[in-house]
Amino acid sequence: MPKHDTPLLDQLESGPWPSFVSDLKRQAEKSPQCWDILGQLELSFKDRITHWKHGGIVGVFGYGGGIVGRYSDVPTQFPGVAHFHTVRLNQPSSKFYSSAKLRDICDLWEKYGSGMTNMHGSTGDLVLLGTTTANLEPLFYDLTHDLKQDLGGSGSNLRTPECCLGRARCEWGCYDTQALCHHLTMHYQDEIHRPAFPYKFKFKFSGCPNDCVAAIARSDFAVIGTWRDDIRVNQAEVKGYINGDYAPNAGAHSGRDWGKFDIKKEVLDLCPTGCMSMSGDELKIDNSECTRCMHCINVMPRALRPGKEQGATICVGAKAPILDGAQFATMTIPFIKVDPENEFEEVIEVIEKIWDWWMEAGKNRERVGETIMRLGLPTFLKVMEVEPIPQHVKEPRSNPYVFWESDEVEGGFERDVKEFRKRHAQ
Amino acid sequence: MALSLDELKAAIIDKATTAPKPQLYVKDFYACDPDAKPRAIKNAANELVKEGKMVFWSSGSTTMYAMKNRAKDEETREA
Repeated sequence: MPKHDTPLLDQLESGPWPSFVSDLKRQAEKSPQCWDILGQLELSFKDRITHWKHGGIVGVFGYGGGIVGRYSDVPTQFPGVAHFHTVRLNQPSSKFYSSAKLRDICDLWEKYGSGMTNMHGSTGDLVLLGTTTANLEPLFYDLTHDLKQDLGGSGSNLRTPECCLGRARCEWGCYDTQALCHHLTMHYQDEIHRPAFPYKFKFKFSGCPNDCVAAIARSDFAVIGTWRDDIRVNQAEVKGYINGDYAPNAGAHSGRDWGKFDIKKEVLDLCPTGCMSMSGDELKIDNSECTRCMHCINVMPRALRPGKEQGATICVGAKAPILDGAQFATMTIPFIKVDPENEFEEVIEVIEKIWDWWMEAGKNRERVGETIMRLGLPTFLKVMEVEPIPQHVKEPRSNPYVFWESDEVEGGFERDVKEFRKRHAQ
Repeated sequence: MALSLDELKAAIIDKATTAPKPQLYVKDFYACDPDAKPRAIKNAANELVKEGKMVFWSSGSTTMYAMKNRAKDEETREA
C-alpha cells in the first residue's frame, strides 16, 4: 500500500517509456524505505527544491572515496531516507561479469541497503543507492571478502577508470584497453581510494577513434587508440560494396531502403578532410591528411581497417558537468606506444607529469582542463615537453596558441610594451 | 630543506586545528612545508587519517581533511 500520495510522480508513469516511478513502487514492496523516496521526491516536485543534503564524514576506515553521504532535510516526515548514502563499486574492465556476480551484488545490497541500484554511473561504477552509516563497514567487509570486489572513486580522487569493450569484442581495438584499464586501476589504488588532487580526475580508455566510452568528451585523461601508418584497403571488397554485395555499415540503419550504395555520396564526400578519391574503380587515400574520423571504416568494415602500426593518442582536459562549461579534451600526445611488456611505462610517465604540474598549479575544485585554459596551452605544452604543432592553433593570427619568446629567437629581442602601444592603435 | 615526516604531520595538525575553516583541501596544507612535494604532503595527511587523528570529509564531488572533533557532519547536525 502506498505510504504517501504522489500524484505528480504517478503522472510520469503514463508516458510511453518504462518509468523509474513504477520500478520504485515495485521495489517498495520489499524495501519500505522506497515509499519515503517517492514521498520526498513528490515534495521536491511540489516545493521545486531538492530535499537531499550531502556531505559528511561517512566512509569506511582508511578510504576517502567510494561512498557519498546523503541525508534527508525532512527526516521526520520521511524517516526511511533520513540516511541514504550512495556506494560506488569498482566495475570490472569493460563491465564484463557473470549473471551470478550480479545476483550476488543484488543480494548483498538487499541485505545492507535499499536494493536500489543505478547501473551504471557515468564513470561506469555499479552505483548502490541508499544505506545507513551503521551498515557501511559490514557491507564493505562482505564486499571485499566474499565478493572480492572493491569500492570505486569519488571526491577529489582518481575516479574509477573505465574502458571500452576493446579487443575482447571489437576488431578495431588499436591497443588492449582492458589490460591498460586494469593495470592502472591496480597501480593507482592509493589515488582511487584517497584524495590526492585539487579536484576529480578521470581516466577513460577507448580502443579506436570511434571512442565508445566518450573519453574525449568526459575524461581528464583520454587514451584513444589510433595508428600511424596507412589505413589497410582491400580493393576487391571496396568493389563488393560498390556492386551491392555487402550492406554498408555492416547492416546497421538497414531498417529502411536508402537506395543503392553510393560510395561518392556516402563515403568520399563525407570525409572531413577530403582525403579520399576514386581512381577508376580503385579507392585512393591520402593518409597524411586522415584525421582518424573512422567514418569510411565504419561504412565499409570489410574493405577498410586501421593501419598495422598501432598505439594511442592522448587527449587531456575534457569535462562534462551537468550545469555548464562542457569542454572537449585537447590532443596532447599525437601517438604513443601502449605496451604491456613494459607495464605501460610510457603512459604512466605522461600521467605523472600532468599530476605533478596540476597538483602545484591547479586551484581547489579546478579540473585539469580548466587549469590549462587558465594558464594557457603554451604553458601546458612546455610542462609536457611537447612541441606545438599546427593542429594546436585554434584560430591562426587572431588567437594563436603558439608564442615566441626572446630566448627562442636567434639574437633575442627586447620589447617595451608601453613604447609599442604609443605607436599602435589600441 | 623539507621537514621530516613527523615535523610535517605536526605542522598539518597545527594548521587543521587553528585554521578558521574546519575542513581543508589537501592544497591548503602545501604551505606547511613549501619545500615538500605535493605528494609527500598528501601522503602525510593520509597517514594522519590512518592514525585516527584526522578524518576525510566528503561532499561527494570533493574530499577534504578535518580534525575529527572539528568536522561538520550532516549526520549529527540538527535538520
